[in-house]
Amino acid sequence: MSVRILGVAIFVIAALYTRQAGTYAVTFGDVLGPTVFPIIVGIPMMILSASLVVFPTGQVDWPAPQRMGRQAAALAVLVGYTMTLEPLGFPLATFALIALIGIILGGAPWKAVVLGAVMAPALWALFDQVLGLPLDFLGELFV
Amino acid sequence: MEILSLLGQGFVVAATPLNIGLLLMGCFIGTLLGALPGLGPVNGVAVLIPLTFAFGFDPTSSMILLCAVYFGCMYGGRISSILLNIPGDEPAIMTTLDGYPMAVQGQAANALAISGVASFVGATIAVLGLSLFAPVLARAAIHFGPADYFALYILAFATIGGIAGVDPRKTLLSALIGLLLATVGLDPISGVPRYTFDSFHLYDGIEPIVALVGLFAISEILMLLEMHLKDRPKAIPVGSWLPQWGAIWKTRAAMLRGSGVGFVAGVLPGAGASLGSFMAYVAEKQWSNKKGTFGKGDPRGVAAPEAGNNAASGGALIPMLSLGVPGSGTTAVLLAMLISLNVQPGPLLFERQPDLVWGLVASLYMANIALLILNLPMIGIFTRLMMTPTWALMPVVAAVTFVGVYGISNSVFDLEMMVAFGVIGYVLRKMDVSLVPLVLGLLLGGDMERNLRRAMSISDGDWSILIASPISIGLYILTAGFLVLSVWLAVRDHRQTQAERLTEG
Repeated sequence: MSVRILGVAIFVIAALYTRQAGTYAVTFGDVLGPTVFPIIVGIPMMILSASLVVFPTGQVDWPAPQRMGRQAAALAVLVGYTMTLEPLGFPLATFALIALIGIILGGAPWKAVVLGAVMAPALWALFDQVLGLPLDFLGELFV
Repeated sequence: MEILSLLGQGFVVAATPLNIGLLLMGCFIGTLLGALPGLGPVNGVAVLIPLTFAFGFDPTSSMILLCAVYFGCMYGGRISSILLNIPGDEPAIMTTLDGYPMAVQGQAANALAISGVASFVGATIAVLGLSLFAPVLARAAIHFGPADYFALYILAFATIGGIAGVDPRKTLLSALIGLLLATVGLDPISGVPRYTFDSFHLYDGIEPIVALVGLFAISEILMLLEMHLKDRPKAIPVGSWLPQWGAIWKTRAAMLRGSGVGFVAGVLPGAGASLGSFMAYVAEKQWSNKKGTFGKGDPRGVAAPEAGNNAASGGALIPMLSLGVPGSGTTAVLLAMLISLNVQPGPLLFERQPDLVWGLVASLYMANIALLILNLPMIGIFTRLMMTPTWALMPVVAAVTFVGVYGISNSVFDLEMMVAFGVIGYVLRKMDVSLVPLVLGLLLGGDMERNLRRAMSISDGDWSILIASPISIGLYILTAGFLVLSVWLAVRDHRQTQAERLTEG
């Protein structure tokens, strides 16, 4: 079933992609223009994904709900990191990232917090101070 | 003779203090990444690429660092295979079959030493092969025109991952998704923005490094979260690290056979180190399993696959450097780095940048010696570091991944895109869709389109130019052959599983 849904999703994307390709104008002196290559990609994609819908192969074992919850939590932390990195600065955001992912991965909470508290400033010192890769220290916290 | 003088120049390039430092660092990191279950060569190299960018190393130094990591992973994977019965990375799976039983029987030191020496033999033979054959292949490929390159790319997509036995339609779809992603951005010839949704972030196209770090590293974290976290395996205690040298000497023939099989598997497109070690083990079993000792701790069953996976990983560099078409996942990632550094691998690379090619080859000889030392006398370090628990390791890896990608462009948009690619990568992996063709499509798509359009401009719109040269015709015939073979294999496997299901039911 999952493979069928994937097939439908790819088919829809490929169909929209191919239709959109037709709108790109051909310019003078460029025989194929920007249109033809996407069509060459899109049409076999539609055929192959349609065949996956009709004849799917392979069994997909999705994780149990509890583990899926763990994955969702980890994703939320990763997305949260992309949003807090600039406002909070590198050490603080990274501390939260390491501590939270550590807890989600089953580490003892206090150990994960200690790990984050040690590693976040250490990584900042390594990359910013030693290796010269500029990373914000406090972000926009006190601006 | 010419090769020797070029190699001599290569050693001059490789022997600068910076390059030697990077080489040793790469060997150490690589062995460690290989030994840690869950982190393999693709992830390791993908995580390190952004960092080499951020530090602004030149292409030669970057390649030396990453190839040392790549080779180091191949050495290190066996350590956890033997001591934990968990392969440190995918190619080391075969080593668990005889390596773990040997360790259980108290022969851990021997198993580690045999596999270490086998890795050295395999990798050294592969680097010798690389020095001899890559220039020959490059010289032959110099006659390729645009239409021939188009045909070569088609061949690469049809073959990569195709022999692995999964549904070939999924592999082709994966490549097509990559090509689709490659068309996003300003069209380089006409200047028309395509599929950018009017977002200026997408005008430059999708940065392959961002996509592949997401696809491999972030999806790995998601994969990890669905496994059991609590049951930590116990490593087999090793009394003495001193091996019996006679036991190593007895496996010399198995090492050589494994190297030969692995090397050939590595050079073929779409196979890589995993297939190399698998084929080496199967061949060795056919050859010398006279008393039924394989799978119960036969030293030859350790030597052959280890020699095989190291030989294959070296062999996979040949098509990557001389044709610009990688033969495995990790070499695809290395290709991504070279392209991002404005180095176009292919036949011209050998003429225009001999320093890069031969500096790299020379450094690989040196890397093998460094790795032999790290993996025999100093192996105790890695067995201790290997026991770092996952909950402590993965968060730090995630943080380093973010730093690296952020370091390239200082753009939060890239970080978001990386996480999105992580989810896509996870879903595709769950569906048995290999990610390597996708990365390859994203990398080569731009070039493939450019060559097609150039060929069509030369012929003024006549499609027959695509099959006008004997080279392209030959490549298309080869492509058709591979496709027929992979469909046949898939149908056969499908029938087998159905037959098994019938007998079970």
